[in-house]
Amino acid sequence: MNELLTSAVAGLTAGGTYALLGVCAVFTYRLVAVVNFTGAAIGTAGTFVLIALYEAGFPLWPSVLAGVVAGTIVGVLVGLVMTTWFSEANASTKAAVTVALLVGMIAIGLRLTGGQHPHVMPDLFPGSAFRLAGVEVTIASALTIGLAVLFTVLADRFLNATRTGLHLRALSERPMAAELLGVRVQLLSVLVWAVTGTFTTFALMIIAPQRSPNFMTLSLLVVPALAAALVGLFRSFWITLAGGIMLGVVEGLASSFDGVSQYRGAIPFVVVVAVLLWSQREARWDDAR
Amino acid sequence: MHWKSTLATAALASLAFAALTGTASAAGPTCADGVIKVGAVSTVTGPADFSEVPKATQAAFDAVNAAGGINGCKIEYTIADDKADPAVAAQAARDLIDNQEVVALVGSASLLDCAVNATTYARKNVLSVQGLGVDAACFSSPSVAPVNVGPYTLSTAVAYYATNELKTQKLCAFFIIIGGTQEAYKKGIENWEKLTGQKVHLLDLTLPFQGDLTPYVIKARDAGCDAVLTNQVEPQVVQLIKTVDAQKVTGINWLFLAPGYTEQVAKALADTQQPIYVGTEWEPYTEQGSEANKQWTADMTKAGQPLTAFSQGGYLAAQIFLEVLKGIDGEVTRESVAEALLKMKPISNPLAGSPYVFGEAATHNPMQATKVMKLEKGAWTVQTPEWVVLPAIQ
Repeated sequence: MNELLTSAVAGLTAGGTYALLGVCAVFTYRLVAVVNFTGAAIGTAGTFVLIALYEAGFPLWPSVLAGVVAGTIVGVLVGLVMTTWFSEANASTKAAVTVALLVGMIAIGLRLTGGQHPHVMPDLFPGSAFRLAGVEVTIASALTIGLAVLFTVLADRFLNATRTGLHLRALSERPMAAELLGVRVQLLSVLVWAVTGTFTTFALMIIAPQRSPNFMTLSLLVVPALAAALVGLFRSFWITLAGGIMLGVVEGLASSFDGVSQYRGAIPFVVVVAVLLWSQREARWDDAR
Repeated sequence: MHWKSTLATAALASLAFAALTGTASAAGPTCADGVIKVGAVSTVTGPADFSEVPKATQAAFDAVNAAGGINGCKIEYTIADDKADPAVAAQAARDLIDNQEVVALVGSASLLDCAVNATTYARKNVLSVQGLGVDAACFSSPSVAPVNVGPYTLSTAVAYYATNELKTQKLCAFFIIIGGTQEAYKKGIENWEKLTGQKVHLLDLTLPFQGDLTPYVIKARDAGCDAVLTNQVEPQVVQLIKTVDAQKVTGINWLFLAPGYTEQVAKALADTQQPIYVGTEWEPYTEQGSEANKQWTADMTKAGQPLTAFSQGGYLAAQIFLEVLKGIDGEVTRESVAEALLKMKPISNPLAGSPYVFGEAATHNPMQATKVMKLEKGAWTVQTPEWVVLPAIQ
């Protein structure tokens, strides 16, 4: 039993990461109606600017700032592509475009950052926060979970209790109608992309040192993150948060069972299928089709 | 009768003379139109870049060509990029064999060349002196004999070192299994068990290529391992040690294979206190002043090639092949090269701890020696000035 608890706690680090990126994915989806596959890649781009500056000998915190700015710019660029050419496209087209962008960003990113070679990754928040069930919970992973909760609260309040939030919701559901009503569609959308760019970059900077530090593995964190977002059906921030953490914990548990652990990488997929089946449980054939 | 015997003598003499001149003109290799065509199938673009290996082979051949070639024959070397794509790899091999008509493959380094092409090579009787054998088929095919130890035998060798020198009692092994490598790694551990009489304390074949490693570190700690061997490549080596440090685990020796032995890893892990060891494929490339590296360093510097482990592999493959070529009497063809490789005597080179031999066995893994490096304050230091040579398994 104790062993199980240990494995579960060991999965918390991953869980916080999935939750944080998952909440960001829901945020983008609810505000600009894009299932964004480039989320983690945008953050990774900013993080690698930090690494490049840090390796070149610049002081840490100014480099962090430069990296966050770079990540924001990449976010805005992706946002401009999406809003300029694809704002009227349907959701699956938009998702496909972001997948294409992701592939391109990984290819360019890997070339620019020297492929699989590891980099010196500065630890923004080194050290251990506390020890639980024999596992050191690092400050970074505690912070990841904390940030995920904070972002969930903020996003929830912002969307449901502010006028801009209301505008943005209108924007994502009927962009043309919103524009006719005088909502500044393009500006607001690009702002949303900028905010998510800033936030994911900062998140990735905290996550990166605990991960295999190369462009591709960091960018592909988007897959479990989207699984978490799907648990929340791309609507609920709180369920996404819980879903992300649960995913990490299940992965942690899985690694302690020999028979299951080799299929550990498939867990997000299993979760996605299970959620889809569950969410359609009451749909009749015609509706579900 | 007298004239007849004179005639017979003259005939005999002329025959003997012809035979003599015949031998004289056939001493050493010859070539039809002044070139010997050689190829390599390597991963250049795609998820990995192994191009330093065949480029070093190229540099070694260029040096020989500049000095007049082998017996006047220039070596024409073609590097084909397989893009880590099986279809492209198969196409590249067919092109080299059928269109370019190469006599052998030398210095190839690819994620999948052996797995895809080894049977083609065997069928066409083109043999490959692989510069860097990566996939398991490189060590289990009659047509391929790599000049490197390879991850499977290196696992045995590093574990063997840990048992003998680090006095490891509870060896744990965690492997990332990609493609058909599971049996090869299991065999590597079995061989270590046979050599040392120990049993592996924990064997985990589920290490993920990406993902959080905290659960695995905790598992190793709670199992009481005193040494952990993994086959991780550069970024994961850094990730694992960072996770180990984050979990404040101590008292475990961390053993890695040759992919962990890079200066980037040393730099990224400069701050750690963990005991980190790697097994090398060849003479440690970071020991650039060493006697064994002298010739290689000089040749690569002259050619403007980087001084990396990869370039050692390509260089070594070229040197061995040149040595074999020189031993051929008569025209250099696919057949004569294949025969020379199959019948060759072992060739020693200071870059490797075992002599290289192709030979007629059904599988080849001639290299059985490593040197072990330890990471100390951001730099690799040699732990074993003498080669750790695996004894033959009974």
